[in-house]
Amino acid sequence: MPMPIDDDALNAFVDGQLPSARVAEVEAAIARDPELAARAASYRAQNVHLREAFDEWLHEPVPAALIAAAAKPARTTRWLPWAASFAMALIGLVVGWSGRDLVLAREGIPTNFAREAAFAHAIYSADARRPVEVAASDAQSLVTWLTRRTGQTALAPDLTSVGFELVGGRLVAGNEKPTALLMYENAAKQRLTLQWRKQSPGTEETQFRYAVENGVGVFYWIDDACAYALSGTLDRRQLLAVARVAYGQIASAAQSLPPH
Amino acid sequence: MAATLPHQDLVAAIPRLRRYARVLTGEGTRADDLVQDTLARAWEKRGLWLAGSDLRAWLFTIMHNVFVNQRALARRDARNVSIDDPDASAAAWQLPVPATQFTRVELMETMQSVARLSPEQREVLVLAAVEEMRYEEIAAVMGIPVGTVMSRLSRAREKLRRTNGDAPLQLKVVR
Repeated sequence: MPMPIDDDALNAFVDGQLPSARVAEVEAAIARDPELAARAASYRAQNVHLREAFDEWLHEPVPAALIAAAAKPARTTRWLPWAASFAMALIGLVVGWSGRDLVLAREGIPTNFAREAAFAHAIYSADARRPVEVAASDAQSLVTWLTRRTGQTALAPDLTSVGFELVGGRLVAGNEKPTALLMYENAAKQRLTLQWRKQSPGTEETQFRYAVENGVGVFYWIDDACAYALSGTLDRRQLLAVARVAYGQIASAAQSLPPH
Repeated sequence: MAATLPHQDLVAAIPRLRRYARVLTGEGTRADDLVQDTLARAWEKRGLWLAGSDLRAWLFTIMHNVFVNQRALARRDARNVSIDDPDASAAAWQLPVPATQFTRVELMETMQSVARLSPEQREVLVLAAVEEMRYEEIAAVMGIPVGTVMSRLSRAREKLRRTNGDAPLQLKVVR
């Protein structure tokens, strides 16, 4: 009595992935068993139709944006703009100062990470002369330094796909633990900061949240006992698009997916 | 880190990447965004590509991971009402192209029955039947065991067979 043909063998047979030594066996079983023959024929017909249907998409013209994306991205190191506007610096000062008051007023109460992140953003992004301590041109030592100081493996997400280049980074004094800050800038000289701070082990993970603090939008989340905040004065939708990219890179680095 | 990726091969892979992205997202614009993110990620990770190895399988793996990460992010968004974004909610898989594009009605019916599969079944079925990838490659792209590939494939095919009745049989059967 020959062995019955299982689903795996039938699928492999239909897909041409069955070891050649077993093909004759499956063919013989199909000749004997009309039910098996019907399934094999149905699966083959499915393959034909699926290929025909899905192959139609291959003949569509490719959008120019995608052809451009296949080219090696240009790595322009853009240095700080000398002319960050005076008005922006002034706003930063005002926001920063009122923020400082608020933090002081709440002394003793665990401070809100998102609020702190917004303050740090307002203060440093408005700083035309020295927004960062280590420039992006020295990215490797920046990452090493931030990793050592925060006790959390640092990663500088590449935000060029959403138009932002890394300017550099700094440390910000946090309440309990230092906060790492990376600053990014786009062609329109808009700045974003990505900040993170290690939390106590066992800190509950939070969902992705959005807050506006004194005109600065902040997306923040806690993942794997580390709090992250992306801040900027972009509108929520733009900021969300950037946050997605940053989150995706941080999450996939954390999983350290094996290369294939 | 490898200095470069084969640019011509990358460009040549775009139509297949778009197709796979549509299978994953079920929507044309999001699919093209996913292709763009995948290409950007491929350039970032170019040091991980073994020159001369199968570029398509490597790119598909990146796309799968980028998609899974973005979906996780979208789910976080969706749970938070205050930032609810209509684009972020995972929409049901639809025909990513207008029905009129299909030259034959059977092909549109095929596509509609594919739309009724679960996302996991759909992905495995397309990679096996349309991309004609080896089962081991599919397992690597999706980060799942080969046994899981096989069981999803079986379920997808049986579901298609049942939804179409045995209608496909009256059409030409190859080989």
